[in-house]
Amino acid sequence: MMRTHLSLAMLCVMSAAGVCSSTSAPGRPSLLGCRSPEKETFFCWWEPGSDGGLPTEYRLFYMRENLRGVHECPDYVSAGKNSCFFDKGHTSIWAEYNLRVVATNALGNASSDFLINDVMKYVKPYPPVNVTVLANSSTPSPYLQIQWKSPPNVDVKSGWVTANYELRIKQNGKEWKNVETGAQNVLNLYSVDPGASYMVQVRCKLDHGNWSEWSNPTFAKIPKHGQIEIPFWILVFAFALIPLLATISILVLKRKLLKQWFLPPIPGPMIRGVDIQLFKSGRPEDVVNALIGNQNYPPMMPWTDQVEEYLLVSDSDAWQLTDPYTFHKKKENLIIGLHLESEIQHRESAPGQNAWEKAEESKEETVDLEISNVSQSKSSLSNMEPTKLLIEEQGCPSTKKTLTLTNVIQPLANTSYVDFQQRENFWDNSPTQAEYSRVKEVNGETILILNKEKILPGSDVQEQEVNGEVNAPDDYSRVKEVNNDLLLLQKHDSADSYCKKKEDHYTEWTSQRPTTPSEGEHSKGLCSEMVESGYVNSVPGFSDK
Amino acid sequence: MSAHIRPVSPVFVVLVCLAFCSRLSSMKAASICTNGQTGCHFISLANLFDRVIQHSARMHGISNDLHSEFELYFLPSKNQIGRVSHNCHTSTILTPNGKENAQRIAREELTEVILKLLVAWRDPLWHFHQDMAQHHEFNNFSSNKSLEMSDMVHELRKGVQKVVEKMQMLGIISTSIGNLGTPEALLASNSAEWRLMNDYDLLYCFRRDSNKIQHYLKILKCRIVPENGC
Repeated sequence: MMRTHLSLAMLCVMSAAGVCSSTSAPGRPSLLGCRSPEKETFFCWWEPGSDGGLPTEYRLFYMRENLRGVHECPDYVSAGKNSCFFDKGHTSIWAEYNLRVVATNALGNASSDFLINDVMKYVKPYPPVNVTVLANSSTPSPYLQIQWKSPPNVDVKSGWVTANYELRIKQNGKEWKNVETGAQNVLNLYSVDPGASYMVQVRCKLDHGNWSEWSNPTFAKIPKHGQIEIPFWILVFAFALIPLLATISILVLKRKLLKQWFLPPIPGPMIRGVDIQLFKSGRPEDVVNALIGNQNYPPMMPWTDQVEEYLLVSDSDAWQLTDPYTFHKKKENLIIGLHLESEIQHRESAPGQNAWEKAEESKEETVDLEISNVSQSKSSLSNMEPTKLLIEEQGCPSTKKTLTLTNVIQPLANTSYVDFQQRENFWDNSPTQAEYSRVKEVNGETILILNKEKILPGSDVQEQEVNGEVNAPDDYSRVKEVNNDLLLLQKHDSADSYCKKKEDHYTEWTSQRPTTPSEGEHSKGLCSEMVESGYVNSVPGFSDK
Repeated sequence: MSAHIRPVSPVFVVLVCLAFCSRLSSMKAASICTNGQTGCHFISLANLFDRVIQHSARMHGISNDLHSEFELYFLPSKNQIGRVSHNCHTSTILTPNGKENAQRIAREELTEVILKLLVAWRDPLWHFHQDMAQHHEFNNFSSNKSLEMSDMVHELRKGVQKVVEKMQMLGIISTSIGNLGTPEALLASNSAEWRLMNDYDLLYCFRRDSNKIQHYLKILKCRIVPENGC
C-alpha cells in the first residue's frame, strides 16, 4: 500500500515538475537566406528554432576570406528581426563568407552554419519604382506610355551594375504579356485596344543576378476611340459641307454659263435664209421653198449697161490662201456686178437671183470656210452630180427659168462657195496678173476644170472675145475662156439666146478641145451653167485651151 | 531620251564608284588599324571600351557555365566548414574588393590590375583545355567551351592592351604602365602555383576573376568615357 502511494506521489511530483519547467536548450536556428539588393551590401536572415521556453538570444558570427578571425554581425536591426545586415564597409563582393548563427539561452545554445561562396549569387534587387502609365490617345493610334525608375541605391551611373527590366501587361480578361525592355526605362506600347483597361507591372535584374519581385500593379485605361473626336469630326464635316453645297448650287444655277464656257458652241453650217428643216423633209417643193422661199427678188430690169462684167471663175489654191480681206473687197465688186446682172434677169428669175445673191451673202459669212474647203478637197466638187442632173433636164427654156434658176442655184448651193471665191478672186485681181488654179473634174455631169496656169486679167477677156471663141450676144453670162485657165463669164441678158449661143459654144468648145473626153461633158455642163444668173461659176471648171 | 541619258550614266557610274571606293578604303583602313597600328582615330575610345566589355561579359558567361557543369559532375563539398578560400593563384594580385575601392584607386592602377589578371590566366586556361581534351569523360560541349575560354582570355588581353595604348595616346593615362607584354616575368612567379590547383578550383577561381575583370572594365569605362550606358 505504501509503495503504491509512494510511486503515485513520485509520479505526481515528476509530472508536476515536467509541467512547470519545460525549458530546455534552444533548438537550432535555420539560416534561411541572404540577399544583396544592389551588389554593394547584403543581409541574411534566419528562422529561430524552438527557444526551449527560455529567453533565447541569437547571434551571428562570420568568417571571411582574406580576413582573419571571427567577427560578429555589425547590424542586427536594419534588416529586421532575426537578420544581419552587412553594410558597404563589411561587404566584400568577391569574398567568401562563413556565417554561423548561435541561439543561446540559459540552458544551452545551438547554432547552424551558412556558407556564402559568392555574394553575386544572392544579388536580387528591389522592384523598380515610380511606375507611371499614361494612356496617350492620339488620333492615329493610341498607345500606353510606361515609365519607371531603377530601384533605390542601384548605381547604374558608375557602371557597377547594369539593370535589365522586364514588363508585363494584362488586359482585363486576358493573359499576361511579357516584354523585355533591356536597360530602357520607358516603353510605348502600341498594341492596345481603345476603351480597354490595363494593368502593368515591372521588374528588374542586375547583370546575371536574380529577378526582383514584380512592382505593384499600375492601372490605366485607354479612352474609347472617338469619344473625344466625334464632335470634332462632326464640326469638320459640317464645315466642309457648306462650300460643297455652295459649289453645287453655283454649278446648277449657272450651268448654262458654264456649259458655254467649257463647251463653246461650234457654229454649224448655216445658210442665211435657208431653212435646214425643209431640207430634211426631202420633198422637192420643200427643198425649193427652203432655198428660194420667202425671197423677194428685185424686179428685173433690162440690162442697159453695156459694161460687161467679167466673172472670173477659177479655182486656185494660191488665190484661196490670200488674205480674206481681199476676198471681201472682191465681194463688194461682185455684188455690184451681181446687182447689175440681176437687173437683166427676168422676173421669174428674180427669186433665183435673189437667192443667188443671198447665197452670196451667206457666202460672205463663210468665206474662210470656203477657202479652206476649196483648197483642201477638190474632190468634193465632184459631189455636184445630183444637182447637175436637174439642170440638164431643164435645158434652157425660159418658161422654166425659175426652175432653171433653182437648178442653177442648187449646184450653187453646193458649190457656190467655191464659185464665189473664184469670182471674187478674179475680180480683184483683174488689174494684176494672177495665177489661178481651177478644179478639173471628170465626173458625170460635173464640169470642173482646174488647172494651174497663169491667167491674164481683163485684157485676156478681151482677147477671148476677139478670138471669137465665144460669140456671146448680150445679156447673158457665159463662160469665156482665157488663154489658160482663166474662165471668164460674161453676163448678158437673155438666157435663151444665151443658151442657143451656148450650143454653139458647145460645138466650138468641143471642137477646140477634142483631146479630153471630159470636154463633152463640159459642153453639157456649159448650158446648164450659162444661165442668166450668171451662175456659170457653179461649174467652175471650164475647160480652156 | 536614251541619247540624253547616255552621257549622264558614265558620270553617274564614276561617282558611285568613287563613293564606294572611298568607303572601301576607309573600311580597309579600319581593319589595318585594329591590327596594331597606332594613329588611327576613327574608332572611338568609348567604342573600344564597349567591345572589350562585351568580350569580357561573354567570357564570364562561359566560365560560369563551365563551373556549373563541373558542380554537377563533381559535387564538391559545398557549404563545408573550413573551406574558406580556394587557393587561387591570383590571390596575390591585390584587387579592389568593391565598388568604392575600384572607384578610388587610380586609373592606371586599375588598368594594371586588369592586365595582370588577364596575363595570369593565359597559361592555366590553355592547360586546362588540354586536360579537358584528353579526359574523354567530358562531353564535347565542355571541351569546346574550354577552348573558347582560353582563346577569349588571349583576345581580351590584346583588346585591353589596345585600349591602353589608345588611352595613352589620348593622354588620359600616363605611360607608366609600360608594356605588360612581357608577361614572362609574371608567369615565372606564378607558374608553379597554378599547377597546384585542381580543375574545379581553377574554374572557380577563373569564374571569379572574369567577373572582376568585367566589373573593373565597366568602372574604368564610366570613369574615362561616360557617354552611353553609364
